[in-house]
Amino acid sequence: MTIKPTNTFYTLSRIAQTIGETRGSHAKIRICAEYFMQLDNDTDLRLAAQFLGEGAFSDLSDKRTTVGSRTYSTLAAEFCEIDYDMVFKPSKTALGSASETIEKLLNNIPEAQKKWSAHGLLLKEIEDIFEELQSVSSRADKQSILKNAWAKMTPLEVKFFLRIMGRGSLRIGFESKSIISSIAKAFDKKVKDVRYVHMITGSIGKTALLARNDQLEDAQFKLFQPISFMLASPVESRSVEDFQEYLVEEKFDGMRCQIHVKQDKVHIFSRDLNDITHSFPEIVSFFRERDLPEIILDGEICVFRDDTIMPFQHLQKRMGLKKPTKKILAEYPTLLISYDLLFYDGEPVFEHTLIERRQLLTDLSKRHNFPITTQHYIQNKDEIDTYFEQALAHGNEGLMLKHKHSTYEYGQRRKSWLKVKKPGGSIDTIIMYAHAGSGKRGGTYSDFTLGVSVRDDERYEEEFIPIGKAYGGYTDEELKKINNRIKEITAEKYGPTLGLYPDIVIELEFDDIQVNKRTKANYTLRFPRFKAIRWDLSPNDVDTLKDVERLYEEKLNQQRLAQDQNPSFQFG
Amino acid sequence: MLKITKARNHGILLPELGIGLDYSGSDANHVFVSHGHADHIPWKLRASVYATPPTKKFMHLRGVNYQVNALDFGRSYETKHAKVTFFPAGHILGSAMTLVESDNGNLLYTGDYRTPPSPATEGFELPDVKIHQFITEATFSLPVYKWLSYDQLKLEVTEFAETALEDGHTPVFLAYNLGKAQEIMHMVRELGQPIQIHGAGYKLCSVYEEEGIDLGNYESYDRETCEGKILICPSSAIGNGFASNVRNKRIAYCSGWATMESRRSQLTVDKLIPLSDHLDFFELISLCEQLAPDMTYITHTPNPDVVKHYLDKRNLRSGFLDK
Repeated sequence: MTIKPTNTFYTLSRIAQTIGETRGSHAKIRICAEYFMQLDNDTDLRLAAQFLGEGAFSDLSDKRTTVGSRTYSTLAAEFCEIDYDMVFKPSKTALGSASETIEKLLNNIPEAQKKWSAHGLLLKEIEDIFEELQSVSSRADKQSILKNAWAKMTPLEVKFFLRIMGRGSLRIGFESKSIISSIAKAFDKKVKDVRYVHMITGSIGKTALLARNDQLEDAQFKLFQPISFMLASPVESRSVEDFQEYLVEEKFDGMRCQIHVKQDKVHIFSRDLNDITHSFPEIVSFFRERDLPEIILDGEICVFRDDTIMPFQHLQKRMGLKKPTKKILAEYPTLLISYDLLFYDGEPVFEHTLIERRQLLTDLSKRHNFPITTQHYIQNKDEIDTYFEQALAHGNEGLMLKHKHSTYEYGQRRKSWLKVKKPGGSIDTIIMYAHAGSGKRGGTYSDFTLGVSVRDDERYEEEFIPIGKAYGGYTDEELKKINNRIKEITAEKYGPTLGLYPDIVIELEFDDIQVNKRTKANYTLRFPRFKAIRWDLSPNDVDTLKDVERLYEEKLNQQRLAQDQNPSFQFG
Repeated sequence: MLKITKARNHGILLPELGIGLDYSGSDANHVFVSHGHADHIPWKLRASVYATPPTKKFMHLRGVNYQVNALDFGRSYETKHAKVTFFPAGHILGSAMTLVESDNGNLLYTGDYRTPPSPATEGFELPDVKIHQFITEATFSLPVYKWLSYDQLKLEVTEFAETALEDGHTPVFLAYNLGKAQEIMHMVRELGQPIQIHGAGYKLCSVYEEEGIDLGNYESYDRETCEGKILICPSSAIGNGFASNVRNKRIAYCSGWATMESRRSQLTVDKLIPLSDHLDFFELISLCEQLAPDMTYITHTPNPDVVKHYLDKRNLRSGFLDK
């Protein structure tokens, strides 16, 4: 499709909308590739790729527009001359998206229609608006910039403007993997090469330019630019027969991170590639003092005290802290345990096999004295069980199995790394809400909000409060049975969501319990899923919030084996 | 003012008059049924039941085996204390708004309605009297819901079918068996292409024919011969093998809820067409303004407070039946 002129933000928005309305990734990629080909100016191509794939600013830039949803939502209510609490909020709840709500309200409400008109803003002008937004700090200033911008945009543009600004998903079923493929298709390059350049440059916009100008080979890997992490698949979902092809190590319940070191300069990046260096000053000084060559390590941060790896809940006290106090540092000291090496001696090494990388890592660890995981070769399944028990005794989550001859598959979740975990526990819950399913489960209610009882809990007025949302763990047959029952116990309907009378009891399995102050229960479950539908139980049998609190305390205070024997990690 | 009660799932009761509206409880002598959708049909007979002739036929075709009395639009039925008249509601064929007139004032109950009306109905007509009490549904009760014009929607529907057929694909419309399905058939009939409709909807089509509504060249769905025809079925059928033997098909979901982007990922469809058989939010508010009843009751809605907020701002008194 061709929409002229190609370098307006309206065209980009229409392309994004069309991609969202198109089924099948090949068709989506074709539309995006054609669009990229039509952008003949370098700045326009860079911005288009960046807006579709990265956000308002390049991932390389430190700039971020920090406009909260309340800032633009209250502005939208004012723009439309509607009451924020009475009208905007229920509308947003119904659609489940602030940006979509704003698009529709700007389109529908007569008072708003008078205030905007299409100006055909250029991509460059949109970049200027993002720049301006990040240069101010007060809500009033941000709103005034947004208000001026919206007056010159169509509601469709406003919707995508907000999604790009938020650096979230554009919600068009088109993630960065597809954009990489579109760039490759548009400029007749290999997907693998484009993906590599994206990984080492860290910028989609820049990658698009290099691809078009036949300069992919010129891209240089740079330290302090985070690499997408290699991810593991759950072992249940993969059948492993060739155990001897794997190395095994304990899986820590910590925080995955990547550390870049060049002499005095040390940076730590989180799983979502954010720079978290300032949160862990003791790790920074630890690596500064090691006199290391230029390296990038992949590993896990854990709280380590009294020769013991402490539970994840302790690490939570350190996460998100910009500048931890001396007291916190003393109470929750952290250690980075490495298990992979991605860059060494001026060169990326992720194309090397695991055994080769491991050899380099072990040598480095010996020479410079930093901790790495203890790895074992295995011959049969029984050995896995032994190591698994040992990992649990250490208070760790389980095991990682890593294929000996695998390269470091950045940004991908394949079969080369497998995780073996023990379920954290299970509780009996009640189904509170049913949500219409997606994909192949369309037409049935397949997602459920589950609650625990607070009937006798003086802190709450309701009978049940949500504890988690589960999407799986049931068979097709069970789902059908639940759906039949739901028809009889529906109390209210909110669009795709049904409010249910308390009736169906679910035994819910989860990986862990975490404190989460933003929820009504103050706790959330990690990876909740159905274990069994308890037709034999009634709402009176549902576990209480107090039960959840007790489980949490138990997990926190579980005995942990110290690291003096059969340690999970070692120095070289 | 008439006393009104509403019990969950049982419909509305005017206890002083012994009159029930889409009512299944045991306290009415006369029950008036607004239209043939299952959630409005009394599921137990405990009174004399009245419905428009098409609604009566739909009720029997959908398994009602108690006696239903036919009452034409505009013809009044008089009980001892009240006079009851049906007015076309524009929702589906036979759908009616019910006007109850008594010494204690009158009441208009909308049932489900749409204005401007669906062309596959008897139209939409308001009684020519000042309304005292107005009970209105408000399914789409937020300003994010605003429909395109009928002509635009019809174009979306016909173009979808036409383009799919040109590309060698079989177009499938996901639409409710009664009302929406026939409205789509009425829209696409001009293409002159053969149509197949899911069996449950097929048996209801004869009522439309008898009322003179042209549904085009249609037959009942047949797995062996459906390829290349315009297909219509409810959303639930598509996951249960409907036309699963046809490899190249394109699916359009036709509903007011298609307004929501999230529906796209919830249902695996090629196109969302926000064709509703209810009125939109703006039409609802403007109808209330036009009628200016003494009191409006808002029902059948997840967001009664929003409607009330808009009516308050227009100095129109309103309240809820469900709370």
